[in-house]
Amino acid sequence: MSDPLNVPKSPLLEAVNLTKKYEDGVLALDHVSFGVEGGRVFSMLGANGAGKTTTINLFLNLIEPSEGEARINGFVSHKDPLEAKKYVAFVSENVMLYGNFTAVQNLDFFARIGGKTGYTRDDYREALLRVGLADEAHYKRVKEFSKGMRQKCGIAIAILKDAPAILLDEPTSGLDPKAGYDFIRLLESLRDEGKAILMSTHDIFRAKEVSDTIAIMNNGRIIMQQPAASLAGKDLEDIYMHYMAGHSAVAVN
Amino acid sequence: MLKALIEKEIRDIIGSTKFVITFAVCVLLVFLSFYVGAGNFKTSQAQYEAAKAQNLRQYEGLTDWFNVQSTRIFLPPQPAAVIVSGVSNDIGRTVEVQGRGDLAAEDSKYSDEPLFAAFRFLDLEFLFQMVLALFAILLGYDAISGEKERGTLRLTFANSVPRATFIVGKLIGSAAAMIVPLVTALAAASLLLPALGVPMSGSDWARLGLVIFVGILYLTAILALSIVASAFTHRSSTSFLLLLVIWVGSVMIIPRTAVLVAGRAVDVPSLDDINTQKSKFAAQMFAEDAEKMNSFKPKVSENIDSMMKEVNEFMGGLADERDRKRREFGGRLDEQRRNRQQVQERLAFGLARISPATSLSLALSSISGTSLSLKDRYNENALSYQKAFADFQTEKLGAPVGGRMIRMGRPADDKEKPKPIDLSAIPVFDFAPETLSRSVGEASLDIGLLVLFNLLLFGGAFAAFLRYDLR
Repeated sequence: MSDPLNVPKSPLLEAVNLTKKYEDGVLALDHVSFGVEGGRVFSMLGANGAGKTTTINLFLNLIEPSEGEARINGFVSHKDPLEAKKYVAFVSENVMLYGNFTAVQNLDFFARIGGKTGYTRDDYREALLRVGLADEAHYKRVKEFSKGMRQKCGIAIAILKDAPAILLDEPTSGLDPKAGYDFIRLLESLRDEGKAILMSTHDIFRAKEVSDTIAIMNNGRIIMQQPAASLAGKDLEDIYMHYMAGHSAVAVN
Repeated sequence: MLKALIEKEIRDIIGSTKFVITFAVCVLLVFLSFYVGAGNFKTSQAQYEAAKAQNLRQYEGLTDWFNVQSTRIFLPPQPAAVIVSGVSNDIGRTVEVQGRGDLAAEDSKYSDEPLFAAFRFLDLEFLFQMVLALFAILLGYDAISGEKERGTLRLTFANSVPRATFIVGKLIGSAAAMIVPLVTALAAASLLLPALGVPMSGSDWARLGLVIFVGILYLTAILALSIVASAFTHRSSTSFLLLLVIWVGSVMIIPRTAVLVAGRAVDVPSLDDINTQKSKFAAQMFAEDAEKMNSFKPKVSENIDSMMKEVNEFMGGLADERDRKRREFGGRLDEQRRNRQQVQERLAFGLARISPATSLSLALSSISGTSLSLKDRYNENALSYQKAFADFQTEKLGAPVGGRMIRMGRPADDKEKPKPIDLSAIPVFDFAPETLSRSVGEASLDIGLLVLFNLLLFGGAFAAFLRYDLR
């Protein structure tokens, strides 16, 4: 891919006392702090409403924090959103894309608004093949795609943006086991390329498989944060259920 | 980036099934409108020529101009009325003209063919106001909320896309996706008019071009309104419902309510009242003159012609004076009624102009020369013709016919067979339609309002999106 961005050693994705309180008084995120360096995968586990998607929305400046900061490559998202978002790609839970466009047209549009204007058809083909989308699908309208195919297309968009950080919001939700497996392999290869990856997920087993750090969130707070290596040999599901039942206070690295 | 956003918008709209289907229906209706309009014009033209010929035919073979007491004039069909019929089908087309007296236009298209009155004609005003407005709503109602529902909004704003650039791209792109195909279809359909025998002058083409321009202004306002609604709601179904309510209010409720309110607020005497007063006055005048007529005795003379001349001069003098007073009195009543009507119209139009649909209607009928002023213009033309016809009668008979005229004569001694009168000598009625510049002047307020609606609604869409919840 063209002109890769310079990846510094410090956390590419950083939440500092990140807090979001809505106008109706709901505290969606309560002083959350963490960092994700290049070549690392940070997974956020938690029930619906735990604050995972809110965290991602704050990084993308889709909402503004009530307190604290979300930083991307050092740029504070809500203060300098256009600069910050140059360094991040995003894959959502249910990638819908523009249904009347072909896969290539979708890639072309998102590449252009992502600031990548020099891609050729071969670049698009290469990205789509890398995520496992066969040639015959490249010029089909996306509305004819299955969820798994759309998800692959979404990842191809993130790959083409060639950003040093990637945000993934429930990326394996609804994928069949084979698609889920392929996705994790792809994630590993992106991590190995030096990308900083922040993933929100319900999929405990995939998270344990691919993550360097796992955090469990509940009611807007991180109630457990551990290196994945420290959880080796332990049943993460038990740990998750244990923490969700409120048996422990916040744990740190 | 703006270019990418505009291109995306155009491609997304034009590639959608809803666009293909609704645009196909619109194109079909546009072509049908021009085809039916051209057909109606040709029928009206044939009826007009037949009526003119019939008017002269009734005098064929006459040998004395005295028997030509009146003539009929007809409002010629206007090519511009094919585009926007306005009130052209509602006003009387035929006027019986005498050298003296009141003029009344009768036989409107709708009174002759009531079936058309029931369903009206499929002209461009109807298409823009009703059909194409819905087309614009369909293109815009999910512009923002639809992207949110599809998840593309979140994905787009995961990139360094300024909100302002996005909404400007959306507004320009959706407007272009609507305007370019529509104008192309309208331009292609316009070519049907000369092909189907409608004599389009340079002024008619200019009027057609302006009608399309104003129609597009209206549609862009509706499109911007749709985007505003879409930027105030989070579900496209809510936005669509909201727009349907606004559309019904704008097209159906506001204009009718405005007329109702104006009708209640400003009292205009009915035409029956005015005519009754005029009749009473005329009867009173005649009763006064009847005494003078009874007391009048011409000088007895062997020369019957000079005696008749004296009688006719006396009677003509009375008739002229009566006519003058009657005109004066009637004119005053008419003017008072017209002034009240104008106040009522101004109030009704002023209130109704809250709706862009009203501005569209008024602008299009003004540009096409088929607004309410067509009736006044026809009346003015008819009055001018009446003067010409009165002069003609005076030239032929010594006085205009239409009041009271007594004529006595003796059989000609020489037994020479009288020659038929030359009917081509009767003055020809030539209707002068409103000039293009005056039509545009008349429409300028409503065109300005449509521009203002566009500015406000595009600005509204812009402002609403800057505060939109992108999640």
